[in-house]
Amino acid sequence: MAAQTVTLERQKRGFWVQTYLPEIFKGMGVTLKHFFGAIAKPSENIVTVSYPEEQRPYPARYRGRHRLMVREDGQVRCVACMCCSTICPANCIHIEAAEHDDPSVEKYPETFVIDQLRCIVCGLCVEACPCDAIRMDTGVHCSPFIAEDTDDFNALEGELRARERAFYARDLLMEAGDHSRAVQGGRRSF
Amino acid sequence: MNFIDVALIPLLKIGVIVFGFAMLIGSMLTLAERKQSAYIQRRKGPNRAYLFRKDLRLNGLFHLIADGLKMLLKEDFVPHGANRKLHLLAPMLGLMPAMVIFAIVPFMDYACTGAMAAPIAGKDYCFPEELGALANAPLAELSNPLFNADLNHWFQVANIHSGLLYIFAVTGLAVYGSAIAGWASNSKFSLLGGLRASAQMISYEVSMGLSLAGILMIYGTLDVNELVREQGELLFGFLPQWGIVLQPLAFFLFLTASIAESKRAPFDMPEAESELVAGYFTEYSAMKFAVFSLGEFVTVVFIAAIVSTLFLGGWQVPWLYADGFHFTAASMPSAVAAQQLTVEAAQSALTANTNFAPDIALPYWLVVALRIGGFVTKVLLMCFLQLQFRWTVPRFRYDQIMHLGWKILLPLSIANLLITALVILLV
Amino acid sequence: MPKCKINGKSITVERGTTIIQAAAELGFDIPHFCYHPGLSVPANCRMCLVEVKGARKLLPACYTQVSDKMEVQTDSERVVQSRRAVLEFILVNHPVDCPICDQAGECKLQDYYMDYDTQESRLRTPKVSKVKVYPIGPEVVYDGERCILCTRCVRFCDEITGTNELTVVERGDRSEIRTFPGRELDNNYSMCTVDLCPVGALTSRDFRFKCRVWLLKSTDSICAGCSRGCSIHMEQHRSEVQRYRPRYNPEINDYWMCDAGRLSYKELHRDRMLKPLINGAAYTWPQVAEKGAALLRESIDALGEEGADKVGFVFSPQSSCEGLYMARRFAEEALGCTRHYVGGRPHGDQDDFLIQRDKNPNRNGLLLQFPRGQRPQPFEQLLADMESGQIKILYMMGSEVPVEGAQAERFRELLRELDLFVLQAPRGDGLDELARVILPASTHAEQRGTYINCDGVAQQTREAFKPLGSSLPDWQIAMKLAARLGAPLTTTFIAKLQEEMWEAMKANAQPAPEAPEAETTEADDDAPEEAAAP
Ligand code: SF4
Ligand code: SF4
Ligand code: SF4
Ligand code: SF4
Ligand code: FES
Repeated sequence: MAAQTVTLERQKRGFWVQTYLPEIFKGMGVTLKHFFGAIAKPSENIVTVSYPEEQRPYPARYRGRHRLMVREDGQVRCVACMCCSTICPANCIHIEAAEHDDPSVEKYPETFVIDQLRCIVCGLCVEACPCDAIRMDTGVHCSPFIAEDTDDFNALEGELRARERAFYARDLLMEAGDHSRAVQGGRRSF
Repeated sequence: MNFIDVALIPLLKIGVIVFGFAMLIGSMLTLAERKQSAYIQRRKGPNRAYLFRKDLRLNGLFHLIADGLKMLLKEDFVPHGANRKLHLLAPMLGLMPAMVIFAIVPFMDYACTGAMAAPIAGKDYCFPEELGALANAPLAELSNPLFNADLNHWFQVANIHSGLLYIFAVTGLAVYGSAIAGWASNSKFSLLGGLRASAQMISYEVSMGLSLAGILMIYGTLDVNELVREQGELLFGFLPQWGIVLQPLAFFLFLTASIAESKRAPFDMPEAESELVAGYFTEYSAMKFAVFSLGEFVTVVFIAAIVSTLFLGGWQVPWLYADGFHFTAASMPSAVAAQQLTVEAAQSALTANTNFAPDIALPYWLVVALRIGGFVTKVLLMCFLQLQFRWTVPRFRYDQIMHLGWKILLPLSIANLLITALVILLV
Repeated sequence: MPKCKINGKSITVERGTTIIQAAAELGFDIPHFCYHPGLSVPANCRMCLVEVKGARKLLPACYTQVSDKMEVQTDSERVVQSRRAVLEFILVNHPVDCPICDQAGECKLQDYYMDYDTQESRLRTPKVSKVKVYPIGPEVVYDGERCILCTRCVRFCDEITGTNELTVVERGDRSEIRTFPGRELDNNYSMCTVDLCPVGALTSRDFRFKCRVWLLKSTDSICAGCSRGCSIHMEQHRSEVQRYRPRYNPEINDYWMCDAGRLSYKELHRDRMLKPLINGAAYTWPQVAEKGAALLRESIDALGEEGADKVGFVFSPQSSCEGLYMARRFAEEALGCTRHYVGGRPHGDQDDFLIQRDKNPNRNGLLLQFPRGQRPQPFEQLLADMESGQIKILYMMGSEVPVEGAQAERFRELLRELDLFVLQAPRGDGLDELARVILPASTHAEQRGTYINCDGVAQQTREAFKPLGSSLPDWQIAMKLAARLGAPLTTTFIAKLQEEMWEAMKANAQPAPEAPEAETTEADDDAPEEAAAP
């Protein structure tokens, strides 16, 4: 493959460009406009959303809430293969596997916790799951990390308690879950 | 000369000017900068700290206290192998020049306790109660405190006759803080930052000094207060001859050079977050770090104060003189006349001639207040502009900084000097 | 000596070499299931078929011996086609329950499927279902559906342990592995079948579902279960050892290790002492070194002129040569103590394969720290000396004691009567309640160290993870205390320390007049090189 050469004309820079000054003044003009605009009409010109007091409405197709699917008999579908916790870039899925009484199930997650505040909502866990056991669906994000209103001395304790609320455990995740009809091996029984 | 004059009044002045003004504004700037940059970028900026009640936030004002407390409580860390003494000394050396410079910044003309302060050719003169030996002296002697006991330098910490040289001397010291910090930290980032700081500050000091030489030549005095007084004269009979009017180029040169001296973006090579962590103060924490960053902001105030004093007429409010507003030079004795007058003659001329009454008469205390207010406003405006500048202009590369300093600013300031000299010679 | 060509490269090999071995020498990996270098070759899986010029059919590489002028193709179109077919055949009734299968990640079937097959199942009839989670032995669980009937496990029990528990029952697609009636897969090496099994048909009850294999980090180490010191892969996740797997070492353990040793990783995390303590209060190492040294010095001085003679020092054959070398010098140079004893675990069972009676990995290393004639005395002597009050201060490495029952009880009582008892060990084992100074040592998993096994082969372990808690390797503890006692011990670099240690050990081994020790000496001479080679 012959290398192709494209010669670009070096742009001539005129005197005023080289002095920078007009551009600096123009730039100052822009920033000043923003500055005074923000002061004069904050509601219009400031784009910050003061989360968690203010919240943006979630788009209708937003998928931010994990749920664990269930089997026909209402048991958790997840088999604790750890694919999701392995792929999770935020390292926020904690699973402890255990032996199931039913040998056809064999392995199930005794503990399955997702730290919703650590989750970056990337959806990789859903992609990784070989069993269609975890999905992410419409609904709100996990409640934000606000310290509970305790008196000031116990603020830390309140914060810790608030933090723990973000650890969504198996049963909670299953409540949002549904019965999946996927079968193993990739084909579906429609 | 008694205890009150020698110790108490200077201490009071230092307290009010350095701590009550420079440090106060400097520390407010730490928040102002974050707020201003936020508004420029359409954000809200820091607004979370609260006192007593969660909704008592005052739009982030308490971040000042929060930051201060945090800095106080942080671990004071000295890296292994650092030179402990110099490591401790460096932040002080960084802050010190920015603070001592306020010694010569006049917040007002000398206060006159004498009979009358009236403008002759755009300058106020204070006539003492008893003319005494001064009666036959030339008019200029009136503003010499040796002869005129009614001149009181209440609004300037030290009335040094060579104030301008003092400015040069002190800004020259500023480089030591960063250079020593860089060296004493035993860290390659700090060392590189320190080296960059020294090179940059030395380069820009040259153009800084040369751009001021024009001012010096025009007004012909080193006394900073006298420089400001000179700026009250009216050019063409109506235009206050501020430094920026007579030396517009020097104004820009000086402003650029001094922003470069303050080591802030776009000239933040010595700190260079993107490549040197934090440059010469990488290895600083807690209060030492706070002192460095406070020093940076006090430097902003100091640049604002010097620029206002030398180029923006200092405490001068346009057309405002000791007895009120004079909108034209016609309502004052002319400069040519003033040169030939003795003190006594001038006083009688002023009292006798009703043409010399102000267009709007104001009591003296109001004039004083207006002038101080004017000066503070100018300083705040210049601070604002510097912050705005920092958030507008992208950073330079290091070679571009050197290029700008040596190949552009320096020739320009020499050219400015030559042209000024030529004009003075011809006019 | 036949000369052949494999994929165009020629090689001359010994007579009797199989194609798979010759190819391996040339760096060609031929996929295989039933072949295992440590077992006989049944050639029943047909995965290793290769194309031999002149042969009408593909030949099994694991079984076919190389003959002169043979030309072999291991990756031709035909071969790959056949691998695809073999894999599809094996997978006909395979459950593909990889998500719950412990083997997933190190499964040959998975790997080869990804390499050669990657097609969807064409089977439209239900799969044959067989037993799952079948307890085939106390340590092993069998899954009939996953089994590919390579018979490695059967051959292992026939050829290596000679216990013959396993066999294939039924025929065709109903075939399964079973024990003979009334038997269980319960020999001392039963868990080796788990390693052998190329798929997840045999899983270890201990490791089951504990951790996915792709999360494990493996370090070359040794098993400290007995003085055989089998070479192992020490596999840990987040600083916790999850399992041991034997590492091929023809001089020690070949491909195998015993079940007890395999489970001995649990010792690494049992009852660990993690903080240096003096009289029950926790300190940092600099503090504890200072206070501990002062305490030792005071107690020795309090015993008067002959104080140092009343100090006993127990060396642990559980510790590495480095730790023992420094401990010996600490005892002699810093404490001036000459009463040396050997601790360690009591003797146990042995067999004629790997398991040794001596349950301590480094007894030979310990003995070599001392010149001939000055070797430490047995533990029983310590008991006698304590009984007669000749020992008032005891510094003990390792919490294991080689005595049991009433004697162990008596030892604990005698400890109570001491002026000072210093315990430097990874585990408390109840002795920590009696010790005034507790110095937490790290186990062999957490440090570099040399161990000399029963045959005099030296092996080096590597640091699998950082020392737990504030524990430190034995040699570092000895150096810290010695420095405070005013007798600093040389260097801080372990490589330098090892050089000195080998010098000293060689010198101790040199004059070899007596017969029983000659063996050790010989083996030890080539030991340094061995230690260098992992
Ligand atoms: S969405 Fe992403 S970050 Fe959140 S749990 Fe799943 S894999 Fe982890
Ligand atoms: S949710 Fe899916 S991927 Fe995660 S452990 Fe369960 S089965 Fe595996
Ligand atoms: S044996 Fe291998 S292929 Fe079969 S289920 Fe287990 S991991 Fe998957
Ligand atoms: S259990 Fe494993 S080793 Fe034994 S025959 Fe089946 S696949 Fe082979
Ligand atoms: S490995 Fe050769 S036939 Fe199985």
